[in-house]
Amino acid sequence: MIKIICVRARKNEKRPATTSPFTMDNWLKICLLVVFAVATTGNEEATPAKLLFSKQILNKYLVEGMDIVIKYSLFNVGGTAALDVQVADNTFGPQDFEVVGGQLKVTIDRIAPGSNATHVVVIRPSKFGYFNFTAAEVTYLPSENAAEALVGLSSEPGQGAIVPFKEYDRKFSPHLLDWLSFAVMSMPSLVLPFALWFSSKSKYEAVLTQKKDK
Amino acid sequence: MTQKQKALSKEEEILLQDFSRNVSTKSNALFYGNAFIVSAIPIWLFWRIHFMDLLTSSPLFLIITCLSTYLVSFAYKKTKFVLKHKVAVKREDAISREISKMISEDKKMNKKEKDERVLWKKNEVSDYEATTFSIFYNNAVFLAVVIGLSFFILKSFSPSFNYILSVGLSSGLIALLSTGTK
Repeated sequence: MIKIICVRARKNEKRPATTSPFTMDNWLKICLLVVFAVATTGNEEATPAKLLFSKQILNKYLVEGMDIVIKYSLFNVGGTAALDVQVADNTFGPQDFEVVGGQLKVTIDRIAPGSNATHVVVIRPSKFGYFNFTAAEVTYLPSENAAEALVGLSSEPGQGAIVPFKEYDRKFSPHLLDWLSFAVMSMPSLVLPFALWFSSKSKYEAVLTQKKDK
Repeated sequence: MTQKQKALSKEEEILLQDFSRNVSTKSNALFYGNAFIVSAIPIWLFWRIHFMDLLTSSPLFLIITCLSTYLVSFAYKKTKFVLKHKVAVKREDAISREISKMISEDKKMNKKEKDERVLWKKNEVSDYEATTFSIFYNNAVFLAVVIGLSFFILKSFSPSFNYILSVGLSSGLIALLSTGTK
């Protein structure tokens, strides 16, 4: 068999190289491509699901008694789908925070490879002061055959200062009603003496102008 | 002799009272009342907008309001005194015209009596105008300075310190400005 190939090769040598596309060089390239393609396909199948998990606070100001929006983002960088993904954030105790919207424990059936999933929770702090925002947890099955679930932690937003509502209101509220009341209160002390003075002034100035007219 | 002296002193007394720095009890009450109201108005701003606690800060409010009332009424009196002379000069012509028009029918009245009546009326009008204008002017300046200080210049200070400084400085400023003679 080897001999035949060699003979053919020798025969091919006599022919001009440019006439046929199946030269030795091209064969080698095709073989390499096929080997590489087979190798990569095999790797994809073997890579288990791997989730990247981030926890973000979307508010600029953290204020006592006002909504804080927290966004959890999951991204699957693995080759297979992550299954039975359970996100749980146990860092917001009921004595410090009230959940206004969304849930702190959520289950996502499947996150396909290369895709992402987001979850948003709205909480309201009941106290002011410094609070250390720590990581949330995620549990998932890295592949369909996996017997054991993987546990991952999210990024940590870090320490944040929750401002007292009074302080926030003092800085940002327009206090329109309060200013209106202030205007109503201070008006009599300004308008009344001015009106009295102006009436007397105009009365005597009118007397003078009458005199000039005559 | 004693009767003449007595009559003279009475006349002098009226004249002195009319153009002196001393104000009557009625005027005094008006000034103190007005000064108290205008000094108490900023409490609303500090309670509602700067969130000072009304109950716990009440001693502070009371002390500063009393001090401010004294200073504002002092400014009223001083401004009134300066204004009264200016108004008297300005209104002299108009008042004598008004009086002569009023008593033109009464031929029995002599010149001295007429002059006295003009003087009396002039004093009354200038007193009234100076009082009302003094109250208006000082109130306006006081409130404007309080707002300017507490919401712009002393904005970053603690509310209590802001209150003491803005109200104290405003009333002090109008009291100081009133001592000028021009």
